[in-house]
Amino acid sequence: MRLRTRPPLAPAPRPIVALMESAQKPLELILARNLLSSISTPAFLVDRDGVLIFYNDAAGVLLGKAFEERGTMSPEEWGQTFGPFDEHDEAIPFEQLPITRALRDGRPVHAHIHLRSASGERHRVELSALPIVGTESFRGAMAIFWPTADNGAEAGA
Amino acid sequence: MKLTVWGARGSVPAPGPETVRYGGNTSCVQVELSDGTQVILDAGTGIRGLGLALDRAAAGGRVNILLTHLHLDHIQGLVFFAPAFKPDSNITIWGPASAEGSLQERIARYVSAPLSPIEVRELPCDVHFQDAPESEWEIGPARITAASVAHRGPTLGYRITEGDTSLCYIPDHEPALGVPLDTLDDEWVSGFDLARGASLLLHDCQYSDEEYGEHVGWGHSRLSDALTFAHRTEAERVLLFHHDPLHSDDALDAIYESAAAGWAERGHDPGEIELAIERESLDLRAVTAA
Repeated sequence: MRLRTRPPLAPAPRPIVALMESAQKPLELILARNLLSSISTPAFLVDRDGVLIFYNDAAGVLLGKAFEERGTMSPEEWGQTFGPFDEHDEAIPFEQLPITRALRDGRPVHAHIHLRSASGERHRVELSALPIVGTESFRGAMAIFWPTADNGAEAGA
Repeated sequence: MKLTVWGARGSVPAPGPETVRYGGNTSCVQVELSDGTQVILDAGTGIRGLGLALDRAAAGGRVNILLTHLHLDHIQGLVFFAPAFKPDSNITIWGPASAEGSLQERIARYVSAPLSPIEVRELPCDVHFQDAPESEWEIGPARITAASVAHRGPTLGYRITEGDTSLCYIPDHEPALGVPLDTLDDEWVSGFDLARGASLLLHDCQYSDEEYGEHVGWGHSRLSDALTFAHRTEAERVLLFHHDPLHSDDALDAIYESAAAGWAERGHDPGEIELAIERESLDLRAVTAA
């Protein structure tokens, strides 16, 4: 083994705090992102605090901007950006959003909502939000949504 | 910190004339800390030889076994580990938590009839089972970190740090499942923080790039992904591990040549990378922080 012939390691001091400073995503979210990035159904992923940490290419097409262009968004930011709106065109409060309810209650939620794309178009979608639970705690939630047949890309309000 | 590989094979033991140089025993790595504390990474069939060596050295009194997961190639040697049959042995087995049952209950599925002639409760040693915590803990002079990594079922990687020397062990890992590894930000790479800047990274390299296409989702890395992972995490040295049982010594020699070339292409000294070889040892100097 060639490594044995090398001198013993004497690396420069490297504080362990610096080594571990990045906020690595929990494995459950990493695997969920891998799944969502591989499917053609629009979907997004939030962490346990409701921060939007990923949406896939199909969702990017619907929303009018790719995740790579948009980046991570706080609940307030993505609420203001995408809506969502209810059947009566009323903005849905964060606490009532399907994915928030999934996170809070630890159970799936199915709903019809409207989303607003970057160009202002509204899309009626049918959405299922699923909590993601790790071995010890909630990790986040994913939402998969389908544009409904009566979508019609209504003009922005 | 001294490391000895007692088994580097993945999946199933592969003894025979075509594997004598790299070895046929499944995953087991002995880590001896600066004060003599014994930490054993996984309990594949390689742990049988280690147990005999510890027995001869009369050093088998207190042992910590860190299991990455409970696939058979990582626990099969448990019932052949000589210190487990000595009343004066004190063995703590760490492993991944699961909602399915306690660590002892899950291991007892193997260490019980009809698969084993002995039950866990019949072991004469003092044995304890511990779920690996999500936060860092200490064994002797070392700090231990465990983190879940992408494989099939609950699976951990471990980092052992003593002074400024760190060993990262991720023997079963498919960090590029479903996505090209070089397109992900660091925070989205499974095992990244665990491996970052390790003095030595032992990492899964079960498949060649040509073989991987038939094994996507099996929980293991192809060579190029192992190299990319090691490069991105800035490993100082790399030992490629968990050799496929179908890989003969000659096949592994060829993989080594590709690995050295690939490591050089990524801007590193090819002398920093090797394939794990059974019974080979490596001394890592433990530099105590001032």
